[in-house]
Amino acid sequence: MVCIVLLMSIGHALLGLLEGGPRHGYDLKRAYDERFGQDRPLHYGQVYSTLSRLLKNGLVSEAGVEAGDGPERKRYAITDAGVTDVERWLGTPEKPEPYLQNTLYAKVVLALLSGRSATEVLDTQRAAHLRAMRDLTRRKVDGDLADQLICDFALFHLEADLRWLELTAARLDALAEEVAR
Amino acid sequence: MRRVLSDLALGVRLAVGGSRKSWVRLALQGAGIGMCVAVLLLAASIPTAFGNRDLRDDAREVVEEGTGPAPLLVENGSVAFRSDYVRGEYVRALVSDAPKPPGVDRLPGDGEIIVSPHLADLLASPEGVLLRPRFPQKVIGTFAPEGMDGPLDLRFLAGDATIQPNDGNQAHGFGKEGSGGGLPTVLLMLSIVGAVVLLFPVLVFVSVATRLAAAQRDRRLAALRLVGAGASRVRLIASGEALAGAVVGLLIGFGLMFAIRPLADDIPLPEVATFPSDLTPTLPLTLVVIVSVPVLAVLTSVFAMRRTIVEPLGVVREQKPVRRRLWWRVIPALGGVALLGSQAGKFANGSKAESWPVIGGVVLLMFAVPALLPWLVERVVHQVRGATPALQLAVRRLQLDAGTAARVVGGVAVVLAGTVTLQMTLASVENEVRAEDQRERDNPSLSVTVNETTPLPELPGVLAGTQGVRRVETLRSTYATTQDNDHTSVSVGTCAALELVVRIADCADGRTYLVPSGNGVGDPKAGDTLTFAKTGGTWTVPAVERANGNVFGLYATPAAAAGLDLTGSHTELQAEVDTSRPDVVEHVRNALAPYSWRVHTIFYGEDSTSEIEQVFLAVRRALYAAALLTLLLAGASLLVVGMEQVRERRRPLAAMAASGVPRRTLALSLVWQNGIPLVISTVVSVGTGILLGVLVTKAFDAEVHYDWTGIGVVTGISVGLVLLVTALTLPSLRRATGALGLRTE
Amino acid sequence: MTTLLSAEGLHKSFGKTSALDGAGIAIREGEVVAIMGPSGSGKSTLLHCLAGILPPDSGTVTYRGQDLTAMTDNARSELRRTEFGFVFQFGQLVPELTCLENVALPLRLSGMKRKDAERASRDWMERLEVDTVADQRPGETSGGQGQRVAVARALVTAPKVVFADEPTGALDSLNGERVMHLLTTAARETGAAVVLVTHEARVAAYSDREVVVRDGRSRDVEFVR
Ligand SMILES: Nc1ncnc2c1ncn2[C@@H]1O[C@H](COP(=O)(O)OP(=O)(O)OP(=O)(O)O)[C@@H](O)[C@H]1O
Ligand SMILES: [Mg+2]
Repeated sequence: MVCIVLLMSIGHALLGLLEGGPRHGYDLKRAYDERFGQDRPLHYGQVYSTLSRLLKNGLVSEAGVEAGDGPERKRYAITDAGVTDVERWLGTPEKPEPYLQNTLYAKVVLALLSGRSATEVLDTQRAAHLRAMRDLTRRKVDGDLADQLICDFALFHLEADLRWLELTAARLDALAEEVAR
Repeated sequence: MRRVLSDLALGVRLAVGGSRKSWVRLALQGAGIGMCVAVLLLAASIPTAFGNRDLRDDAREVVEEGTGPAPLLVENGSVAFRSDYVRGEYVRALVSDAPKPPGVDRLPGDGEIIVSPHLADLLASPEGVLLRPRFPQKVIGTFAPEGMDGPLDLRFLAGDATIQPNDGNQAHGFGKEGSGGGLPTVLLMLSIVGAVVLLFPVLVFVSVATRLAAAQRDRRLAALRLVGAGASRVRLIASGEALAGAVVGLLIGFGLMFAIRPLADDIPLPEVATFPSDLTPTLPLTLVVIVSVPVLAVLTSVFAMRRTIVEPLGVVREQKPVRRRLWWRVIPALGGVALLGSQAGKFANGSKAESWPVIGGVVLLMFAVPALLPWLVERVVHQVRGATPALQLAVRRLQLDAGTAARVVGGVAVVLAGTVTLQMTLASVENEVRAEDQRERDNPSLSVTVNETTPLPELPGVLAGTQGVRRVETLRSTYATTQDNDHTSVSVGTCAALELVVRIADCADGRTYLVPSGNGVGDPKAGDTLTFAKTGGTWTVPAVERANGNVFGLYATPAAAAGLDLTGSHTELQAEVDTSRPDVVEHVRNALAPYSWRVHTIFYGEDSTSEIEQVFLAVRRALYAAALLTLLLAGASLLVVGMEQVRERRRPLAAMAASGVPRRTLALSLVWQNGIPLVISTVVSVGTGILLGVLVTKAFDAEVHYDWTGIGVVTGISVGLVLLVTALTLPSLRRATGALGLRTE
Repeated sequence: MTTLLSAEGLHKSFGKTSALDGAGIAIREGEVVAIMGPSGSGKSTLLHCLAGILPPDSGTVTYRGQDLTAMTDNARSELRRTEFGFVFQFGQLVPELTCLENVALPLRLSGMKRKDAERASRDWMERLEVDTVADQRPGETSGGQGQRVAVARALVTAPKVVFADEPTGALDSLNGERVMHLLTTAARETGAAVVLVTHEARVAAYSDREVVVRDGRSRDVEFVR
């Protein structure tokens, strides 16, 4: 599941990075690693397979090939459909589940990079989290002890995420500064 | 030892603390204790003041015995002026280096006079116009302080070359060993009660001041105890805090004492006005003050801490405190009443030893007030069930911590009780003095005694010729002793003469009258045998009728005194004056001025109402001032306590105000909270004061009089004080109940 | 659901610090609203303005059509006493009254007889499971018991709105949940709306929706129902 999430968000991340302007695949990998890939840099293969999927779905287009051979000479640009896709992605909260931080982090950074409201992203997410917590709380209040224990487990995990969200929200200004560098 | 000192030092540091609040607390404490110390130091100066007065009196005494002819002749020339008495002597030096009385540079020669500054002022003032004819001499100087009793002494020393030597006017020098005068009973009574009543509250107040704003300190010390400080260490720390206040108080007290000392000059009562230099506390008493005040402060503080030390958690968590016990608290009250009751009426006998039970009783009763009050407040407060929320809040607060309020109000109560007692004693004394004055005033006769050595046959004629004199009668008076060795005077005169000195309706020749002495001791009875000192003769007292008069003794008509040898008796002229003429007596005295020391005049008919009024007004003012000052201080303490309580309860107060509890309710609960202990203490203290007043007056065998206006005024002041204090607490309540009070600190 | 209490364009400054900068909120009848946000964002200030404890510098607060900001201090006091209930983080109970008397206090202030007030209060204390400490003083109870006593006091007058500022702030999670559970259940039963300031998500999860305050500005994050 982790991988799927990762794969799904790599596409969106690359799209988001392309919003700044057309780039080579190699550039994209470097930009991605710099921002999101501290402990897990992308393989070239991952970049090109993702790009070709995006190309197939019409979210990016090839923007000319420079002299020389090899795939790294191709430049890619985001299409209008690609922009719409990024927007929808940013505006949709992730399903409140554990281990979201990578995706959320990517979303926040990309929102900042593209001049969209990162606060909005976080608020949307926290609302989704809280809704889930509310449901769990309701189930807990109505349920028996086993329900309570199980719900509490989930609640504490969600709460931890929410705390992270809050902390991130509080540090958005600092983050924006860092991203802009 | 090092640890003891460091614990004490920690206490001092906690007291001084650094924050503005702790400075205010220390200042209040210092002011409270300082005032007490000043009063104590003044009291400690009284022995010096009166002692110095006695010493100067003795130094002035004429030494009559000596070898060879006397170098100086002295005649007493003291003369009354209205209700003042001008003391003085006429002297004639027979040798050039004749002895001088203290306070003068040289003896006045013939026609010269030395006066006291106050007499000089009086002579120069418009009031003194009628006195001037009696002192026509040339003023050559004034007395130095060592020649006077006090700054308001009216005194003179005049030279007169016409004085001839006789048995009674020989002077070989001045100055005698002190015999110790002693105060008159009335003054003694006032001063015993006054000293006890004023000094005791001072001591109580030292404790109250030490405990000023103690609740918070208790909590702090309880916290120290909770983190593991041992009981003895907490006691040491508490002592350190108390010591800091006491030391500041001592400093302020000495400062105050020296600041008010110069004012002793200006006391408008000649008997009390004192040279500032005479107001020096005696060394032993000063040491007692210096030692006892800090000791008292420390003891009170440690004693009051006992609950905190035993159950520190109770103070921190505001648990219900343990109930106070009654039994030891009633002991002083019962003891006091018993002691004073047993002395009722006995004081008249004048024996000094019996003043001790009286003093003891007064002290015990005064102590009963602060001892009983906390218990009583607690009792009442536990009975009251809050009928309204405001009352409930107040009552519950008091149930938790009745001690602080009761303690502060207890300070007020002692002062109040003392003041009421003093007022009553004063009222009784004043009443007695007025009644006596009233009795005397019915007697419009100026009595003129002629110096035995200089017969003045022309005197009745001179007197009769003076304006304002209706008639002149002659009495012959002498002294005798009864077989019980009591002294009495015997005067013989016609009915017309006797009527002027004794109040008798149907005088007939052949009757004898007795003016009884005040306490009935030593009154001669019919059948007693009298022995006359001058002649050695005896006389059997015939049947006597009792009558009122100013001077105690037997008064016989000529027929009744048939067998009486009047040799050596002196002549007493009675001049009936027309009292409707203003200052008639002073005019007559001026007519006698040329005879100076040869005649002495006494006038009982003087209307001294205004004088009495002035004296009592002054005393009463001083009393009020002292009471008011103490009450103000107590008010300040109440204010500190009140503000601190508001501050402590900021959060609940703010929360209540936030949930819509009207401020009025909260303010009202403050009024109740101060008012309940106050009402109780006022009732108790006025009750105790009156009881004490009755017992003391009874013990001194005087008639009981109630000074209701005075009691009302003092009570009113203390009630007003609580209202004022509450009103002053309101701003801090307002601040606490604002939305800001909800913010955590 | 009709709007019970609403605020618009609230501004409030303390000296140079601006605590509220155009905040607005609407509370509907019977709903539980959580106000969240970082520390110092103005949550408490917003709550105080809403409850009429603190007058805002500008903006309006409307309760059932009445403008709170235009009312006199006394009228607001009266309103708070009769229509609102309050639970704060700590220290709201009068230390010298017993817990029962604390709960009965608002009823008695409205003129109810002592007996009746204490009977009604005892019922509420039973519901909040603190009847065992009825005759103890607040100092002798645990923090959680004290908070439940405070909740009983807030609910005893059958208020239309209960304002709670960090009601579980001084409690551990179990006690906090217990207080929240009892508070929201009781409020739902009596139909009282609850305005709940908290920074704990698990506490906020007892609400129906959440309002986030940031830098003195509030925004509705979600509205369920
Ligand atoms: N009485 C006051 N005086 C000065 N500044 C104040 C006052 N009350 C609030 N503030 C300021 O207003 C801002 C908002 O305060 P408020 O208490 O509403 O924050 P909050 O959101 O409740 O914070 P917390 O979660 O820490 O309780 C803060 O910056 C605070 O410093
Ligand atoms: Mg707050």
